[in-house]
Amino acid sequence: MTIALGVLQAVLLVIGAPLLRGIVGRLKAVLQRRQGAPIWRPYADIWKLLHKENLVSPSASGVFGLAPLLLLVTSILVTAFIPLLANSALLGSAGDFILMVYLLAFGRFFLALGGIDGGSAFGGMGASREALVSSLAEAPLLLGLAAVAIQASSASIVGMTQWALEQNFFNISAVHLLAFLALGIVALAETGRMPVDNPTTHLELTMIHEGMVLEYSGPNLALIEWASAIKLSFMVGLLIALFAPWGMATALSPAALGLAVVAMLAKMFALAAALAVIESGIAKLRMYSVPDFLGVAAAIGTLAVIFTALMKR
Amino acid sequence: MGILETTAGKVLSAYSVFLFLTVLAQAAARRFSTNVLLFSLQSAIIAIQVAVIGYHEKLVEAYVVAALIVLLKVVGIPYAFFRLIEKLQAPREVISATSAAESVFVAVGIICLSYAAVRSYASGVHAPEDGLAASVALILTGAFLMVSRRKALVQMIGLLVLENGIFLAALTTTFGMPLIIEIGIFFDVLMGLLLMGLFVFRIRDTFDHMDVSKLRKLRG
Amino acid sequence: MILLWPLGIAIFGAGVLFCLANPRTATRVALVLGAAEAAVLGDIAWQVYRHGVLTYGNYLRADGLTAFFLINLGLTTGLVLIYASGYMQEAGEDRFFSPRWFYALVFLFLFTMLGVCLSSNLGLLWIMMEGTTLASALLVGFYNTEGAVEAGWKYLVVCTVGIAFALFGTIVLYLAAVRAGISPNTALDWALLADAAPHAALDPHLVKLAFVFVIVGYGTKIGFVPMHSWLPDAHAEAPAPVSALLSAVLLNCALYALLRYDIIVSRVVGPAFPHALLLIFGLLSIVVAGLLILVQRDLKRLLAYSSIEHMGIAAIGFGLGGPLGLYGALLHTFNHSMAKSLLFFGAGNVRQKCGTVRMDRLRGLARVLPQTTGILALGGLAIVGLPPFSLFISEFAILSEAFSQSHYLVSALLLVTLSIVFGGFLHHFMRMICGEPTQTPGTARLLLSEWIVAGIAVACLLLLGIHIPHLFNNMLQQAVAVVR
Repeated sequence: MTIALGVLQAVLLVIGAPLLRGIVGRLKAVLQRRQGAPIWRPYADIWKLLHKENLVSPSASGVFGLAPLLLLVTSILVTAFIPLLANSALLGSAGDFILMVYLLAFGRFFLALGGIDGGSAFGGMGASREALVSSLAEAPLLLGLAAVAIQASSASIVGMTQWALEQNFFNISAVHLLAFLALGIVALAETGRMPVDNPTTHLELTMIHEGMVLEYSGPNLALIEWASAIKLSFMVGLLIALFAPWGMATALSPAALGLAVVAMLAKMFALAAALAVIESGIAKLRMYSVPDFLGVAAAIGTLAVIFTALMKR
Repeated sequence: MGILETTAGKVLSAYSVFLFLTVLAQAAARRFSTNVLLFSLQSAIIAIQVAVIGYHEKLVEAYVVAALIVLLKVVGIPYAFFRLIEKLQAPREVISATSAAESVFVAVGIICLSYAAVRSYASGVHAPEDGLAASVALILTGAFLMVSRRKALVQMIGLLVLENGIFLAALTTTFGMPLIIEIGIFFDVLMGLLLMGLFVFRIRDTFDHMDVSKLRKLRG
Repeated sequence: MILLWPLGIAIFGAGVLFCLANPRTATRVALVLGAAEAAVLGDIAWQVYRHGVLTYGNYLRADGLTAFFLINLGLTTGLVLIYASGYMQEAGEDRFFSPRWFYALVFLFLFTMLGVCLSSNLGLLWIMMEGTTLASALLVGFYNTEGAVEAGWKYLVVCTVGIAFALFGTIVLYLAAVRAGISPNTALDWALLADAAPHAALDPHLVKLAFVFVIVGYGTKIGFVPMHSWLPDAHAEAPAPVSALLSAVLLNCALYALLRYDIIVSRVVGPAFPHALLLIFGLLSIVVAGLLILVQRDLKRLLAYSSIEHMGIAAIGFGLGGPLGLYGALLHTFNHSMAKSLLFFGAGNVRQKCGTVRMDRLRGLARVLPQTTGILALGGLAIVGLPPFSLFISEFAILSEAFSQSHYLVSALLLVTLSIVFGGFLHHFMRMICGEPTQTPGTARLLLSEWIVAGIAVACLLLLGIHIPHLFNNMLQQAVAVVR
């Protein structure tokens, strides 16, 4: 039963990912007072791309075709770590947060290789920028997760969620607050959102993620788009699970599950709204300021880890 | 009555976390108005703290002091600073000797240092450890802001944060000093700020800039 | 009741003088009020000498130590006011564009310094000390030059931060007192704390912590190295009468405040800890200041560093303790006031007549300004500690205390530094005084006011150097008794 629940959670995250992306886009449009695309547009995009032809540059090697597949597979794998409806996940007990982080890194590494492999100048530039951003983002990601893990005395996401579930909402934990800030900044960097990267830009010199995928087309591009949407839903799910998991079903009854679904939808919508507000409100940072920004996140993550020893909560 | 009690207790333990967050944010802030708003936020948190203690200890004086803090530090001084920025037509960004990430790391170091100091020196004092550490962190952050930032206006904010930290230390350990002394201290801080504002104008008029790191004519 | 009079006269004077726009009227009123102030202070000192401690309400108190510092304050302020009256006449309209601001601020400054000396509540002491910074900041930046503005800003910022640390120290002492069971409303009263200190169970760690912060905080005002960065700039850029006030009176008031804390802390944790700190700061000050004196190029900055050095000597005297050490240190504060005022008056004259105080541009002053040179020479001889001037007596007393306590390192450093300073002063002054004159100033004659102040100062220095009058000696002994 728990396996079915785990599969359901993973399927929800994977299939519902483009919908989340569409909702964020729609909210941004509402905030910016323009018409905006309907929330189902990302599905239509993926469908359209799947039916187009794969144009591969003559100088590309096998990595070019392999990268989107690996990216998608690792993205789907990491979603299996996240508890969504109840406090259990497919890979909940099998893997810990370090495995999760490095699965993500694995996919990202191959995407960067694919970007260079395409042979265009913008691909290489995007790939090198992405390497900088992701290497700097890795530290706060690990630090924030480590701080939460030390507090919860457990290395798996399920264990951390269990600890959070047992706490009183009013009893604010300093460690969690700081880890939330650090992970929030990392989430913006990982998913390629403002202020680190503008997902809707058409100026190649300002692209990071989009620059890497400039050479991709057809089904390859569809897989990449889907994978980046999955990363967004993964990040949102991770933040909810670690920091606001209340409402999850403790028993496997229809009522509890229904409540859990409603709670999950509400929380995801809230985070999507927050993301839309941040994206509309803050200007994109210059590339020189991005390491600074991520350095702030690293400092906050360091403080979170130190606080596990200093503060009692 | 019961809910208020628990909320008060939570505020007492939680406020130090928020003060640490303001410490980090002040270190990372790159615009002067952000610094002023963060100072206002800090003073508001401290005012809430004073009111809560007043409620717990049944001290009327505490409410008076809390009202004074709100009037002067949360509303009055930030408003005066914004007017000052307008009049001076000062550039908005804060030039600092350390970048934002380095400053935040220094702030993290300051917070750890304050905990270490409180743990080793003040273990005999029966005061909330987090509160005392927050006050020491505020003092050190104020000193750091004064030393690393180059604009005269930010040095004034650093001084104000320092005084906030000292006031908080007094609050956490002894629930405040006699009222007349508190009022005298407030008055002094206010006068000091007034004079500093005056001097900033004179610096601007004499030097045409407010970068105090360039005031290096007198050396040796 | 009498304790209110000096404060009242000062604040009344500040208000009245602010309203007088005419420089001549303002000067006359200021002189009258200054004389009144000196008279009242002398009366208070006499009454304390005869009748013992005077108190008024909960906040004002005068004992033997207070009386001694009040004599110092009154005399020096009187001299400064007399000198300022002449200085302003000479200065003309372009410099002193606002005599009423000047005199009003001087009297406000006086009010705050009197508050420091007369207060019996440590919190009030802090408030008044911060007040001295605020009142004198505008005086330091009185001229609108770049240097003056920079000096004024530095003075304001550094001293406010330092005094904030002193506030922290005060709070920690208050905490210790309250924890020991003293009622919160009276836990800042100095007399109560001094009496209760040996018996009440004040936590020694807290008291030590408090003293560390207080010595750093008030030490900033005194000018201890390494908190001295404001002092040379402020003393150099301020007008000469203000420099004299700062050097001669303000530093002494800050030292007085530190002494009050020293008394309490010594009675709680024993004299070893606070005196060790005083010795450290004192030695650091004299060594650094002594060495920097050698490389100075500006006369007033030279005098400022000399102030730092002498405050260090006084701190060493207080740090050594013992009857001779304390006597010497207290006498030293008085002697230093007289000598330093004399020197600053001379420097002010040089500035006015020659337009500069840069020593490399001044040559042959003996030819062009014989009388001012006389003042400078006498002041220079006095300040380096040569007999028959009184600084010799006070430094000798401190040195003999150092030897009798077998503090050989202290004695050695003191002797070496005094020699270095002697050499430095000799070098700088000889260069200025001898040789061919490069400047051609206007009038070289001193005004009557300047004769008077120079005469009084030199007379004090000589008198105390040759034979200390019985009355003065007794007052000094009373002050020493308070500190022991």
